[in-house]
Amino acid sequence: MSIDLEKILRPTDTPLPEYPPKYMTLAGGEQLVIRQVTREEIPEILPHVEPLMHVERDFYDIVASRVYAELLGYYTYRVQDEYVLAAQIDGELVAVVNGRMANKDVGISYHTLALRRGLRVGAHAFAAKMEYHLDILGQKEVLIVAESPIGFRRWMIEYKLEKRFHVPHELGGCPSWSLTRELYDAARDTLIVGRRPVPEQLLKKAQQAILPPTDPPRPPVDLLAATRSLYDSTATALLEQRKKLGGLRDA
Amino acid sequence: MRDVYVAGIGITSFTRLEYPLVEIAAYPGLMAMRESGIKSIDQLYVANMGAARVNHQSGLASAVVDNLSLTPAGAETIENGPASGASAIKQGFLAVASGMHDTVMVIGAERMREVNNLEATDFVATLTHPMAEYIYGVTLPSLAGMFARLYMEKYGVTSRHLAMVAVKNHKHAMDNFYAHLHEEITLEGILDSPDASTNNPIVADPLRYYDMCPVSDGGACLILTTADLAKKTGKPMVRLAGVGQATDTHAVHDRKDPTDLLAVREAAKKSFAMAGVKPADVHVAELHDAFTILEIVESEEAGFFERGQGHVALQEGYTRIGGKLPINPSGGLKAKGHPVGATGVGQAHEIVLQLWSEAGKRQVKNAKVGFTCNFGGFGNNVVCLTFIREG
Amino acid sequence: MERNIYAYKCKRCGHVQYPYRTICRNCHENDHNEFDIVPLPKKGKLLTFTHLFNPPSDFSTVFLSLGIVELEDGSRITGQLSIERPTIGMHVRANVEVVRKDEYNQYYGMVFYEA
Ligand SMILES: CC(C)(COP(=O)(O)OP(=O)(O)OC[C@H]1O[C@@H](n2cnc3c(N)ncnc32)[C@H](O)[C@@H]1OP(=O)(O)O)[C@@H](O)C(=O)NCCC(=O)NCCS
Ligand SMILES: [Zn+2]
Repeated sequence: MSIDLEKILRPTDTPLPEYPPKYMTLAGGEQLVIRQVTREEIPEILPHVEPLMHVERDFYDIVASRVYAELLGYYTYRVQDEYVLAAQIDGELVAVVNGRMANKDVGISYHTLALRRGLRVGAHAFAAKMEYHLDILGQKEVLIVAESPIGFRRWMIEYKLEKRFHVPHELGGCPSWSLTRELYDAARDTLIVGRRPVPEQLLKKAQQAILPPTDPPRPPVDLLAATRSLYDSTATALLEQRKKLGGLRDA
Repeated sequence: MRDVYVAGIGITSFTRLEYPLVEIAAYPGLMAMRESGIKSIDQLYVANMGAARVNHQSGLASAVVDNLSLTPAGAETIENGPASGASAIKQGFLAVASGMHDTVMVIGAERMREVNNLEATDFVATLTHPMAEYIYGVTLPSLAGMFARLYMEKYGVTSRHLAMVAVKNHKHAMDNFYAHLHEEITLEGILDSPDASTNNPIVADPLRYYDMCPVSDGGACLILTTADLAKKTGKPMVRLAGVGQATDTHAVHDRKDPTDLLAVREAAKKSFAMAGVKPADVHVAELHDAFTILEIVESEEAGFFERGQGHVALQEGYTRIGGKLPINPSGGLKAKGHPVGATGVGQAHEIVLQLWSEAGKRQVKNAKVGFTCNFGGFGNNVVCLTFIREG
Repeated sequence: MERNIYAYKCKRCGHVQYPYRTICRNCHENDHNEFDIVPLPKKGKLLTFTHLFNPPSDFSTVFLSLGIVELEDGSRITGQLSIERPTIGMHVRANVEVVRKDEYNQYYGMVFYEA
């Protein structure tokens, strides 16, 4: 009986071609490998996403929470046509991106989460995701929203995305932006980089194990800061601060 | 004039700080007082460039003096663009040297990341000539780009040399807990690999992303006092021996030779003359490398190297820790960070730490004479300081 | 209408300065501060330049080309470039155009073209 119910709950996935792994050199000389991860690997990723749910800066908390839910959704067959790419340096997990195919022509970009800062790994992982939709799946456009100002700078501004404001995005119904084929082609030389095939050793190392991030974003040191700062555009410490203050009620 | 000594120092991380500007200023003050055992001061100078505009706060010094419960000491805010820090130290120096005050606290503090990058760049661009530069869209990076192009053409400096400055300073910053950037970069990653132009895109041709300092928040403090009072702190005696300042034309195009940093030359000369030392006597220097090209040119203008030889010295490893004259052991503005108004005090903080032999892994051996160069505007207002350890 | 950018010629020593200064940089005359207003020439030679890829937010272009030009009379000016491949030392000619707009004002300045 329960087996049958599970059948109803599960969407039927369209078979999607695999994302061919690629690699590139980062500013520090490290080799970054970006590859698609399998459903079985998701439990290896979740523990590294979870701590970021409590990082109340740069909107890591909301993005990590949503990524966690989406990865779980993928693992437990609750999202249709989803895929997850991971970026790794020497096996260490440094970025996660995901998305799904809405229909043959339209891709939906879900999230980009960088677990190591300052090396553009998030930007590279996002670029790989766009490559997957447009080059590998052969879709016409990808719908994108940003949840953070950094995201907005990285995607909307760097790629000069087109507005599709009449289309509510799957993520909270926010107005969508679109990466069309023309925009993608224009960005090809500058933003979409990387080489294939990945040298065997490098790929093996990446596939062997998803190692924990060595220097992940951490929560702000001073959780009460926002209460003392009149103009704080950094979106710091709203929940934790309330916990800490205890008695403070919503106004 | 009385001799002026350093009694205490303090600093915050130069990064994005998520607490109010007043506390960014107060925290290093607290550190410096704790360390030196000083509980009261006669006068406070707070260096800051953008509080009124960026943080909606004016009269910063009055707020800080109260926050540190140092009232009724005198307090003034000093604004001299990105050279505010060294200018405030100069004021502190004058106050003690003249005999007017015995103990003066100098703080530099800035909180620029409260606004987005474009706004921060625009705020700094208001330093340029309003009619002859600003209206064209000129920003500091673009002035640096034009300067670099001409200089590189003239002296055979290449992007590779500039990248070496960045690699060196990023490496130095790895050992500086308070530095903004803790990422080692390599020439391969930012110049040679097929992905380098994406990792390190051109920002103001020929300057690239890694040729520019980050936008930072941060604060630093220096307590200046007389010889007698400084002795009581038990720290090695470090004297602020030379202070030199010079200016140049407001519009960069107006300079006879646009690759000249005349104001650096003059300010350094004055500072050395007052301290009674020569450039060759200096053991460690903090230069204003808001753009990598500036470290090279300033090292020449300050008199450490011949004109056109700065990049050669760099290439030969002369200027890294372990070299003959380490430049920017803290990571410099490039990697330690550049909270504009605080930078000059931050540079002095590093030099004092070095002269005290307390710089840990990045310690320059036997450093006795240290030098800082703090740049306001694009080279139009420069303050140079010389510190000497006695005994 | 032909527009110009004006320089200030010292009535005592004849030194031409741009931008404006209250006291002449050459003779430092301070009994009076009188200047003849003279239009800057529009031909010159490019001293240096840059392409700025993060122009201020009110510019809608991908990049902004800026340069310093030495004009025929020896004075110097910073301006925008409308030249695809600028090189140091190239001859340029200027046109005075709107170089920046904000909500209420427009600002005129020199835009340089290949001569
Ligand atoms: C958006 C994101 C994916 C971009 O990743 P990225 O391309 O690797 O870039 P980084 O995050 O390292 O750098 C972005 C900015 O943060 C700054 N930064 C770098 N290291 C930092 C650090 N340790 N702490 C804080 N900021 C840092 C960088 O200087 C850069 O600013 P700049 O553009 O002014 O130079 C990543 O910031 C992230 O995961 N953010 C949280 C989740 C999010 O917002 N996702 C996008 C929503 S759709
Ligand atoms: Zn005159």
